Amino acid sequence: MHLNRTWSTEVKNIAGTNAYGVLASPRGPRNEAIVISASWLSRTGEGDGTLNLRGVSTVLALARFLKNYSLWAKDLVFVVSDGYLDGMHAWLNVYHGAQLSSRYWLAGKKSTSDRTSTDLKAEPLELTSGVIWTALSIDYPGHSFSHLGLFFEGLNGRLPNQDLMNCVQRISRGTGGVPVTVYDHLEWQDPATSPSELSFLPSPLRHYPGVQDFAHRAKIIARHIGYQARGRASGVHGLYHKFRIDAITVFAIPATGPHGFHALGRIVESSLRTMNNLLERLHASFFFFIITAPDRFMKIGSYLPSAILISVAMMFRGLQCWVDARWHTDQPRSEKRDYSTWFSTKSRPVVPALAAMLLTHLLGAILFFASRSSWFLGDQKLYAPTFALAILTVPFALSQIPHPRDEITAPFWLVLKAFNLCFASTVISTITILNFSLAALLAVTLGFPLTLSGPSDSKLLSRLKCLFYVFLASAWLFLHQETREAIWNWEILSVWFAPFVCLIYTPLVLQAAIVCVLPCS
Amino acid sequence: MSTSKSVSSNSLSAATSGLLISRVVSALFGLSNALKHDQLLSTPLSSYTHLKEGIFLFKNGIDPYSGGTFRHSPLLLALFSVVLPESQKYASLLWTAFDFAGAWALVSIWRARQNVRKTSRDTVVAASYLLNPYVFLPTLALSSSSLQSSITLLTLKYAAEGQASPSLFFLSVLMHIDLSTLTLLLPILLLLISDPQSHLASPRPLTSNLRRTLPLFGEFVLYTAVLSVASTVIVGGIQWIPQTWGATLTLPDLTPNTGVWWYFFTEMFDHFRPFFLMVFSVHLLIYVVPMCIKFQYDPLYATFLLLGVLGTFKAYPTLSDPGLFFSALSIFPEVHPYLRHPIVTALIHLHAALLMPLFNHLWLNTGTGNANFFYASTLVFACGNGAGLIDAVWAGLRIAIGKDTEGYVVVQE
Amino acid sequence: MRLALGWFLLSTLFVSGYALSSETFSESLKITPLPDGRVSTTFSFNTVLEGASPRDPCSLTSQDASQHYILFPLTLGQILREYAVTELHLSLNAGSWNYERWGYPEEKGVGTGAELWAWMGVDESKSVDDRWKGLRNALAGLFCASLGSLDEQRTTSPDRVFFPQGRLPKWSGNVAHQLRHASLPSEHVCTENLTPFLKLLPCKSLSGIASLLNPHRVFDADWHGMGVHVLWLGEAGVQVRLTFQSVMDPLRSSRNFLRNWSLQSLFGHSIERNCPAASSSAIHVTFSSTENPTLTPQPQTRSSTEVRYDVLNVEKPLDIAMQWRDEFKYPSIFKSSLPISVTRNLRGFTQASGKLSLILKNHRSTPQQLIYLETMPWFIQFYLHTLHARIEGHIRDDIISDISYNAAVAHSRPTTFQAVLRLPPNSVTHLTMDLDKAFLRYTEHPPDAQRGWDLPPAVLIPLNFDPNDNNSSHILNESRLGEPIYTSTLLVDVATPDFSMPYNVIIFTCSLVAFIFGSVFNLLTRKFVVLHLDPNRQNN
Repeated sequence: MHLNRTWSTEVKNIAGTNAYGVLASPRGPRNEAIVISASWLSRTGEGDGTLNLRGVSTVLALARFLKNYSLWAKDLVFVVSDGYLDGMHAWLNVYHGAQLSSRYWLAGKKSTSDRTSTDLKAEPLELTSGVIWTALSIDYPGHSFSHLGLFFEGLNGRLPNQDLMNCVQRISRGTGGVPVTVYDHLEWQDPATSPSELSFLPSPLRHYPGVQDFAHRAKIIARHIGYQARGRASGVHGLYHKFRIDAITVFAIPATGPHGFHALGRIVESSLRTMNNLLERLHASFFFFIITAPDRFMKIGSYLPSAILISVAMMFRGLQCWVDARWHTDQPRSEKRDYSTWFSTKSRPVVPALAAMLLTHLLGAILFFASRSSWFLGDQKLYAPTFALAILTVPFALSQIPHPRDEITAPFWLVLKAFNLCFASTVISTITILNFSLAALLAVTLGFPLTLSGPSDSKLLSRLKCLFYVFLASAWLFLHQETREAIWNWEILSVWFAPFVCLIYTPLVLQAAIVCVLPCS
Repeated sequence: MSTSKSVSSNSLSAATSGLLISRVVSALFGLSNALKHDQLLSTPLSSYTHLKEGIFLFKNGIDPYSGGTFRHSPLLLALFSVVLPESQKYASLLWTAFDFAGAWALVSIWRARQNVRKTSRDTVVAASYLLNPYVFLPTLALSSSSLQSSITLLTLKYAAEGQASPSLFFLSVLMHIDLSTLTLLLPILLLLISDPQSHLASPRPLTSNLRRTLPLFGEFVLYTAVLSVASTVIVGGIQWIPQTWGATLTLPDLTPNTGVWWYFFTEMFDHFRPFFLMVFSVHLLIYVVPMCIKFQYDPLYATFLLLGVLGTFKAYPTLSDPGLFFSALSIFPEVHPYLRHPIVTALIHLHAALLMPLFNHLWLNTGTGNANFFYASTLVFACGNGAGLIDAVWAGLRIAIGKDTEGYVVVQE
Repeated sequence: MRLALGWFLLSTLFVSGYALSSETFSESLKITPLPDGRVSTTFSFNTVLEGASPRDPCSLTSQDASQHYILFPLTLGQILREYAVTELHLSLNAGSWNYERWGYPEEKGVGTGAELWAWMGVDESKSVDDRWKGLRNALAGLFCASLGSLDEQRTTSPDRVFFPQGRLPKWSGNVAHQLRHASLPSEHVCTENLTPFLKLLPCKSLSGIASLLNPHRVFDADWHGMGVHVLWLGEAGVQVRLTFQSVMDPLRSSRNFLRNWSLQSLFGHSIERNCPAASSSAIHVTFSSTENPTLTPQPQTRSSTEVRYDVLNVEKPLDIAMQWRDEFKYPSIFKSSLPISVTRNLRGFTQASGKLSLILKNHRSTPQQLIYLETMPWFIQFYLHTLHARIEGHIRDDIISDISYNAAVAHSRPTTFQAVLRLPPNSVTHLTMDLDKAFLRYTEHPPDAQRGWDLPPAVLIPLNFDPNDNNSSHILNESRLGEPIYTSTLLVDVATPDFSMPYNVIIFTCSLVAFIFGSVFNLLTRKFVVLHLDPNRQNN
């Protein structure tokens, strides 16, 4: 039975009311549920204030319509959530009895420096249902639409089950007769136009179908990496994933036609019936994919090796450094046959190298806590260069510490580089399973720079190299909006991208910077 | 004199700073509550939540061993319900104290092995225990396996110092907490009749008379009997035996952990289960006698190797079991140059330490991975532990041959 | 001559068996429009075997007398005597009864899925557990339901909640009685259960009220359930009551939002003829006194809230219809007729642990006492020390008392938790308890689609209690029990191993163990030797 109850979440400057209703399944034991939701704000411009009016009306109309059928084996929960992400975040957390993030509320994008120590609060839900298996989020801001766009990236790079996307996609084409696209990329549908990104190419090449096709796919993947690597959700559906609920957003791309309410209603109703027929959770093996076109995807086996191979290469380079540090040769190999004198062994300064690494990670932690603070966010233009300078002093300070320069101790930089590469390689290969886009980005930003680090004979060159690495480590400080959003995401939605950058990425690059300014041998 | 003083104060400062850090960290982030349920840090046999449940039932007049999840020894039950107040604050203090005792015992063993009163390595030895994340994290999670590590070290400390009675008493307590530590009995008896100094470089047959172990064994049996009777009196029956000792042998709770048993017996065919339970239990015992024979000239090293076996193969291990093995490696600096592949072992451990929590999370929380992910990571972890063990055996034997000489290599026949 | 012989044989049969005891059969149907526009119907078929008594378990070793019944269901009678069951209650329900909207049901046992409980006399020769096993398997066969899986892992004896509803005979030798209770929330109730149920009736579904039980309609209801209840009424004999309840929604198919119903619209049948075996056959229709619907045909007896049709004496075919003039207005607030309401949930989303959460509301301005029963399969492990009752966020120690707890044993025994709760007037109490989800062996998972495990409903029984009398509040007995309230069932996700892996896991793990074992013993047993490397010789 449909019934609306309200509740609110109160934070310093966001208080909202979600409306939701539960349609109990006839003869059902009331312990499984499907959610159909619409957020009050559309995802257009990542919640820039466009109202999701028709999405909300679709949910309400569906509630009325679906009530007349007795075939539901699972409860249907209709949710109209306030705001863009915040309302649904609060609703889901309360539904699952999870503690809302007790971290300090940061006043979001608009207000600057003030924050309160008030925790997020939400009233308990009056109506409950069972385990939510799947969810559809409907986003329909315009008055008609030409295509349906699918958004699927969740928080922390978690993806929904691919079967869900395939179902909605097929139903949309078959039942609704509505073409489907990935995100709101429409160029795909119209082969006559060529994407603006290709304007640098000569005309014949630009209009060559193969090139266009490649460009479209590359654009989709780039956008995917943009969402996934930063752990961002591409829509309200992304909040569900944390609770093991497979969810996607169906975005009706505003156009003057030809489709409207009726088509969307049919598609959603049919999708819901598909979900209703599920006997078990969608299978565990379809969570790793990269969508390249509405009906094309790359399977894990075809993309995972790219990052893993780079990581393995880094590992080998690290091990090589480790071996080089112990075995030292003075003469070229060909001169003598007696190999016992080719090499001399050296002791490796393991503990100092580990201590240096630990130090950089501790600095990363300090940096993280500092960049969360209100004064940093209050005056980012002042503090960002300050922090960058502070980071810059570290390698130079460390290079001033006297190192034993005897024949029996291996060069410090080589050992540090070995550990640095091994650790970076481990981090990359571990992250591939969790968030491939991030791992791929790391493979690019860490793989080559870290492998090439090392002191040069010229002091100036060493210092320039070091400067480059420090820049690489601290460039993010100057991306004001990005930093702000990443920290907001961490504080509110527990997206670990911000702490990861501070605690892992920056220290790793900083270690490479230290390697550059250390004495050669 | 002054140097030794400064060294001891060094070790003390390292120890205290380590503890301080641990307390500050846990207080700052409320880590204990977050880690309490981590399957890598505590098993059903060592979890603090289970212990609290048992104490609660016991205090409310319900027999905690009549069923359910309480599998701690009655000794711990009595300790917390009668002697000590049970609250998380006291518990974290107590666990810290035990950690401290463990570090102190490890330093004492090191000194006894060197047969000196103070050394410059004390700090390193203490730090290797207190700052080892494998030891440190289970303590934060209030897992009773860290108590067990500390008691193991106390047992070894008294054995190394030749004090038979406290050593055997602690061993008996240890056996009550975890049956599989019975494997340490033989090397500890040997240690008690010989000396803890390093004879790895100069192997010689055991000089002491083996008969001298018999009264010591009798003493151990006596302590065990007394503790068993005490347990029976506390509980009011012998139902604690199948719930505590029985659990290590029959594996009723298949909660994932870092060991190799749980998935094996989850996937085991029902009619082979008893057979393989027997094989896995006996397998732990197989190592005892050969290790003791081969390392009869250095029983402390044999004990150390058996700790490595336990950390890899026991029924309900936590991270602190291999952690104890790797921390104890610090008191054998003489073998370090002979380790063949320490960096590989370290890297395997680094991978496993990152992958295990990650795959556990992917399987149980986000649902994008399945049980095989976590199983694979525990296999990697077991490989890392095995690599450490094999390397330690190699280094312990290889040292007897002496330094590498150019033009010669050492191989096995 | 043949006829005479037949009569002779027949009469000897009657004399030798139970034919001496006479049997009566009565049937009734109660139809109640509910406040949310739905219609509740309750069929009740009563057979009384007068003067009979349950079998003494001490006589189980000896041959039982042969059984002959006229109206009493023979198949059921055989089962009852074979296992010497004194009292038996079986219910098979689909859906979750909405107490807030629908009030108390006519038949109390409305827990989702199958529920079976029985009181049996104790005897050494055949243990109660053996007979319980036989009973559930026999009933599984009789009703085509998976009652066989109500095994030891689901059987409990919560004797503070399920008191005998009839009387327990006092046999010689002071035979004690024991309770066995089990529920199977995942049981799906459907036609295959109704058919054997109807076969137990003397007129099957051919005539009388039972002819309304049309599977096409009753299994399209929003809620339906059937029940079998066997009691001993003392001197009056053994009673078998077969019940069928359903809640239907006339609004679902109504175009103009009127909640009119008729027997024809609800069941697709009207009553064509009487059941000749029935001694009485009545249809009761109740309605709230504030509304004034029209009823056709005119009822024979009428009070302000109920009318009665004596089916045996009305014109056939009988099609009762109730009609409203006005469109149905959905009430904005449901005023619960129950003293308390309860919602139960399983919080948390990991597959390793969770939190049981109950929200109990006391609607009355007097304190309420109730018994709370929770039975859980062994793979749900409670942490009793985390059981807390909170009112407005503050932990209250005075709410939970009198805990009786029977912890689960892994792979065998379920948990039974009983406690007395005392709810302050007009309060909302939040009860929470942490729990662990155990990890099952791969053979313990059903070979089905893995949607999770259904957990049995909790049962709450309000106690009639006098707040002034402190002494009586601690004594639990039957007279103080109100009607039970079943909560909805829960679905729990238990982590699954990979079912295709047994061989791989055995091979991988054993290889690893063998590798480490082999390497260690290799090192321990083989001699170390020093080899001189001569580079010149090597190159040649």
